[in-house]
Amino acid sequence: MTIRIAAVGDIHLGTGGTGTLRPALEGLGEQADLLLLAGDLTRHGTAEEASVVAEEFADVPVPVIAVLGNHDYHGDVPDEVAAILAARGIRTLESQAAIVDVSGCRVGIAGTKGFGGGFAGHALDAFGEPEIKAFARRSAACADGLAAALDDLRAAGCGIRIALTHYAPVPDTLAGESPEIYPFLGSYLLAQAIDASGADLAVHGHAHSGTERGMTSGGVKVRNVAQPLLGRAYALYHLDEENGQTPSTRRVEIGEPSTAVS
Amino acid sequence: MTDDTEYRIERLRHRLAHGELAELGLRIEARAGAVTVSGTVADDECRETILRVVADELSGLTVHMDVAVAATEAPTRAEQI
Repeated sequence: MTIRIAAVGDIHLGTGGTGTLRPALEGLGEQADLLLLAGDLTRHGTAEEASVVAEEFADVPVPVIAVLGNHDYHGDVPDEVAAILAARGIRTLESQAAIVDVSGCRVGIAGTKGFGGGFAGHALDAFGEPEIKAFARRSAACADGLAAALDDLRAAGCGIRIALTHYAPVPDTLAGESPEIYPFLGSYLLAQAIDASGADLAVHGHAHSGTERGMTSGGVKVRNVAQPLLGRAYALYHLDEENGQTPSTRRVEIGEPSTAVS
Repeated sequence: MTDDTEYRIERLRHRLAHGELAELGLRIEARAGAVTVSGTVADDECRETILRVVADELSGLTVHMDVAVAATEAPTRAEQI
């Protein structure tokens, strides 16, 4: 069985952004079984902008699952942003998992915003000043939450598992960005979590000038769906359920249980 | 190029990030005696605003603009993962 995933991030809708994606979304139900939103849905993370986003996706005929991005935190009301989205049926994940039933196949989404910190060989460590420790530990906490959510999905018997983040898990999909800002664009800890717990696909945004395709060291395909680089309203990915069960064979246990599975 | 070009670039980046667009996705670099501004933005209005702000902040400098507007058409094909 083929599962059809639509995904996009970094749509950055402002208060005047109503209708930006509506024409493309009208045919989504014929192309996809679910839609993933990879964060930075707003510009400033305000309630007003969240309402624009909520209305943009309110009538989409497939389940919509999201993570927030750094822009969605800028207004210091991320919980309110998530609540506004939830009121229109858009579920936001943070170190959490969600399961969507697609014609009898349990498709699991493990989501976290993630954080920066950089990539193996050049990554930030929790050493020194409190601010540096807090930064590094925040990145680790997001990765731990992602791993636990992926573990929960495996335990729940999901035939397909997808890791959804805003920040990048690998540097591959950052190619095109200035190398100097890679530490602000993602963290290898996310990829480590994905490889340890297993996933069939990892989807992220955040890197507007990056590239779409990458892969973790463990062989999990990574796709950067930042809308500015896609050249289309959203990306479409097809996953076969049989192939989706393969990654679980390389899973190992890490992290604490995540907070929610539904 | 002037001696304070790098500071003016950072002031431009700050203004774009904290302005109405909250634009952090552009590459703005001093290169061979000029400043290049490149990237893809959400719509024509964003692009026009960026052109105006860049012209204001980098007045007097040679600026090469390469700012495109993101496509929003539905995809016509899917990738088999």
